[in-house]
Formats: sequence, structure tokens, C-alpha cells
Amino acid sequence: MVIKTLQIKVKAGDWLVFALGLVTVIWLFMALWSNEPAGKVRIRSGNQIYATLSLDQQRTVDVPGALGVSRIVIYNGQVRFEQSPCRNQYCVHQGWLHKAGQVAICLPNRVSLELLGTKSYDSLNY
Amino acid sequence: MRLVRNVLLLLFLLLAGCSREPLYQSQSYVFGTLVDISIYGESDERAQQISGHIQQEFQRLHDNLHAWKPGGELFRLNAAFAAGQSTTISPQVADILKHATKVSQESDGLFNPAIGGLIALWGFQRDEFTPVSPDPKQIAVLIKANPSMTDLEIDGTSIRSRNPAVKLDLGGYAKGYALDVAADYLHEQKVKNALINIGGNIIAIGQHGDHPWHVGIQHPRHAGAMATLDLPDGWAIGTSGDYQRYFELNGKRYCHIIDPRSGFPAEGVQAVTVLIPPQQHAGALSDADSKPLFISGSVHWREAAQKLGVQYAMLIDKNGAIQLTPGMRQKIKLEVDGH
Amino acid sequence: MTPLTIETVADDHHIARLAALAITLHLAEAVLPSPLPGVKPGIANIVTLYALYQYGFGTAVWVSLLRVFAVSLLFGNFLSPTFVLSLTGALLSLAVLWLAQNLSEKYFSCVSVSIFAAFAHIAGQLLVAWLWLIPHSGILYLVPVFSAAALLFGTLNGLITAKLLATG
Repeated sequence: MVIKTLQIKVKAGDWLVFALGLVTVIWLFMALWSNEPAGKVRIRSGNQIYATLSLDQQRTVDVPGALGVSRIVIYNGQVRFEQSPCRNQYCVHQGWLHKAGQVAICLPNRVSLELLGTKSYDSLNY
Repeated sequence: MRLVRNVLLLLFLLLAGCSREPLYQSQSYVFGTLVDISIYGESDERAQQISGHIQQEFQRLHDNLHAWKPGGELFRLNAAFAAGQSTTISPQVADILKHATKVSQESDGLFNPAIGGLIALWGFQRDEFTPVSPDPKQIAVLIKANPSMTDLEIDGTSIRSRNPAVKLDLGGYAKGYALDVAADYLHEQKVKNALINIGGNIIAIGQHGDHPWHVGIQHPRHAGAMATLDLPDGWAIGTSGDYQRYFELNGKRYCHIIDPRSGFPAEGVQAVTVLIPPQQHAGALSDADSKPLFISGSVHWREAAQKLGVQYAMLIDKNGAIQLTPGMRQKIKLEVDGH
Repeated sequence: MTPLTIETVADDHHIARLAALAITLHLAEAVLPSPLPGVKPGIANIVTLYALYQYGFGTAVWVSLLRVFAVSLLFGNFLSPTFVLSLTGALLSLAVLWLAQNLSEKYFSCVSVSIFAAFAHIAGQLLVAWLWLIPHSGILYLVPVFSAAALLFGTLNGLITAKLLATG
């Protein structure tokens, strides 16, 4: 080993400290890197995934649904329904989504948006 | 240096190890709403097959329990009630109506699936509804007729209603019932870990890997969760909110939850969430039990919860203030968010 | 008129020599490109560590602080965010060095001390960065990277110091 040929005296405690440091680093990676900010939006139409798009762009997407076309806008790391052919417009009123796990659903048009990433829960009660 | 290389390798392996987990998820539009099925610990093929079967079963239930679509059993029953005739009933629907009647009685009639006539006046049964203001006289007539679950007489395979004003609408029960059906099927198939979400009503089976299933509760006025909680094996959760189905007329919000005493949409509450521990009908109760609490309002909801034996409940009043039962306070974790 | 003379002792000479060396190393490192902005090996810390073992804690403090101030004056960023980050890191790792004096020399060499100091250094810097410069949780994503670098370079610097102490 390099350490030996260089004649460096590494002591028992050093290994312990190094191991502790390693555990800390791994723990930090697991704790802090699993919580990605929402980077992508999954757009579903009917039972199909229509598209999965990065939020890191400025873009307007027209998604055909059961009633007509839902217009979805991606801007500045956020996404929203801008126009919808449905009557009640709940999806439009939901406004901008920006956090992983957030969803906006247009039931009449059967189009949904879901922000991907590690969300803090498995499913949403609404 | 070998040491450094080993360290980097170890790091990489540890990070790569946590990326893939045996979680299957499917989403579909059945039951007139979004159905979200998560299955943990099964192969993708088997999980897909099982969730496909569940979706089919949901569709069948939806058609059969739809109050307003010709072809289903409930539609046929309603027609017979209106005509004052008795008709045949399937064992499944008989069980549903018996249990719904029990819940209705425990809630002093605040949970009342017999007021389909009132719901029709407000137009909330349609997928796409428009702001309406129903004729108060028509509402008064229906209130006076007092359609109630106890008007039903079930005798083996036959049913009749003593009151022709009874019009069944299981909108506040069927989704929860479907959760129970799905849970039974999953147990039968020896699936140990799954989470079923029908339009917001959720039941948990087993857990997600080494920790319980964790669910978020929708904020009534914003996108995203306002709170999260663990949903252990067999527990179910349901919410009634004024944000789910509503219309606004002259600046006023009319929600889909009708107070059977007045015939008008309930007011003063944004949302009620109930959490039901494992028991028979847990799914159905998670759906039905939130309604009486919602209708009772922010002052009397605790009494209604007590009558129904609901220990875990949360109410958000019209100002957005949160009230919790002591049991719920222990279970729930409110999100600290800048909303 | 008598010429102005300053009485110096041996310690002052050590400090001056080591501080000059530390400044040189710091400058050398500054002109070398870094694969990740902000991630640096911190080879000047070898000098601080060497000073601690050879001459004691007081000398280590002088060497470390002289370097921080001198480098910031040379780069013209005295009292700027860069300086404050550098100073916080230095102060925190000095605090750790002071504590590390209590470690048994039987079990722990300067490698352990170097690792501790490196972690203290980035902890101090990240804390200031978070409290003052980027009060945003985004900085959390940097923490694992910086701590991995601290472990790696802390170990390497410790090993080099150990070699220097053994031969010197």
C-alpha cells in the first residue's frame, strides 16, 4: 500500500475517523440528494402518458383530451393549465404547480399533470 | 490511490442501490374519476394484471351503482321506487344499502343517500354542471317528503320503498365501498402491499417497503398537500371538500354536499378528513363518515364524530382554521409551507 | 535618529516562514483550475497542521489567520464575502484543532485531526453561505459534495502532513 511505502504511520483511531467521515458523507448524500426539486412534469391524457417534459423550459403544450384540447404552459420551473375545454375550470384555477408530488387534474377532459421527483408522500387524499 | 478508488466505488454502489424499488403504479380514469393503484413487492407483470382486474371491477361497480345512467341496478331501483313498485335486488347492492342505512341512522340522517332528488335539483349529478339556483318551492316539497334510508324495505331478494321521494345516489359511498372490494381482492390474491386511491379516497394494504404508506392531504385552496400522515395496514382515509365539486353564482360558492335538513349546500366548512382504523367497511366509512361531519359544521362536528365513533378527524373551517380531534393530532403532520 | 528595530524571537520566525509558505500554497491553488467551483484541496491547511504539531496551537492560529488576511489583501477581496467565508472556515477549523489537542496521540495521528478540521472548515463556510449569501434550501444539495471533498482532501492533507512530520 502507498501509505506503507511512504512510511506514514496511520493509527487505529485514524481509520475510525475516516470510517466515520465516510458514513457521514454517505448519509448526507442519501438524506439530501434523494429530495430532488420537481424537475419534470408528467402529462397524462386518458389512461396514457402523453408526455414527460422538463420544467426547465418555456413552452406551451396542447394536449388533446376527451372533450378537446387542454393548453398547458411550462414557465420558470412551474407548470399550469392555461386553457381547458371543461366547464368548471377547476384545473385552470389550480394555478401554478412547482413542488414534486403536486397534481392538477381535469376530470372532464381526462388530462392530468403530475410533478415528478421524490415526493414526500405516496398518494394524495383530496 | 486504491483507498480513494474504493471510497468512490462504495459511494457509487450505495447511491445506485437506492434508486430502483419494486413499486408498480398505474393511473386510469374509471369510476368517473382518477384511480391510482400502487403495488409494492410484486413483479411488474403480476402487478399490472392485478391492477387491470381491479380497474375492470371498479368500472363494473360504477355502472351498476350509478344513479342516473340507465342500465345499472341503482337506476332500476330508483325507477321502481318512484313508481311505488317492489323490485329484485342483488345480494351485493342489498349489503351496500343495509350498511348505508346503518351509517345514515348513526349520523341522524345527515349522511343520506336517499336525497338523489335534491342533488338533481342542484345539478351536481352531472359530470359537467352549470351554476343554477333551484326553485325554493321544489326544494321545500322534497324536504317535506323527507326521503330517508329507513323508508326502504329489503326482504331477501326484493326491495321496495315506502316513500316515492326516495332517490338513491351513492355518490358519497360507492367510491369507499369500491376500496373495500379492491382490498378484499388484493388479500385474496395474496398481494401484501398496495395503496388504492379512488378520486382521493385511499386505503392501505401492508406498507411501502420498510415504512408505512404515507399520504398527503390536499390543501382545500392550494395545489399540493397541507399535511401528511402514515396510513398503516388496513387504514383508510377520506375527505369531503367544498373544492371538489362546486359552482359559483353571484360570488357565492355552492358545494356538492347538500344538507338534507335544508336542501341547500352545506356552508362554513372547507374540508373534513376522516381516518378510519382497520375494520369491516373501512373504505366505505372513510367515504361516508366525512359527510355528516362536514354538514354539522365547525361548531358541532365533534358531536357528529362521536356519534359515528370517528376518532380521527380534521376540519378546516371557512377561514382556513384547522381543528383536529386528539387522535388525529397524534397521527397527522402538518406541512410547514409558505402558503 | 535611531533606526527602528523590532525585537523578534524564534517563534516569530517560524510563524513568518510558515505563513509565507501557506500564502504561496494558497495562491498556487487559486490559479489552478478546479473541477467544481468552490471545491478546493486546501493544501495550505497542511502548513497550519504542521505548525500545530511542530510549534503548538498558538503558532497554528497565527499562520492560519495571517494567510487568510494576507491572501484577501493580495486578491483585493478584504471584507468581501469570499474573505468572510475564508475566515469563518479558518476559525472553525482552528476551534476544532484546539479541541483535537485533547485526542490521545496513541490512537490518533494528524490524519484524524486533518479530517476533523476539513469538515469543520466546510461546515463553517456552508453555514455562512446559507445564513448570509444564499438563504435558500438549494444549498443543501451542495452539502454532500462539499463533505465528500472534505473527507477526501482532509485525508490526503493529513497523510502529507504525517509524512512531513516523520521526515522533518
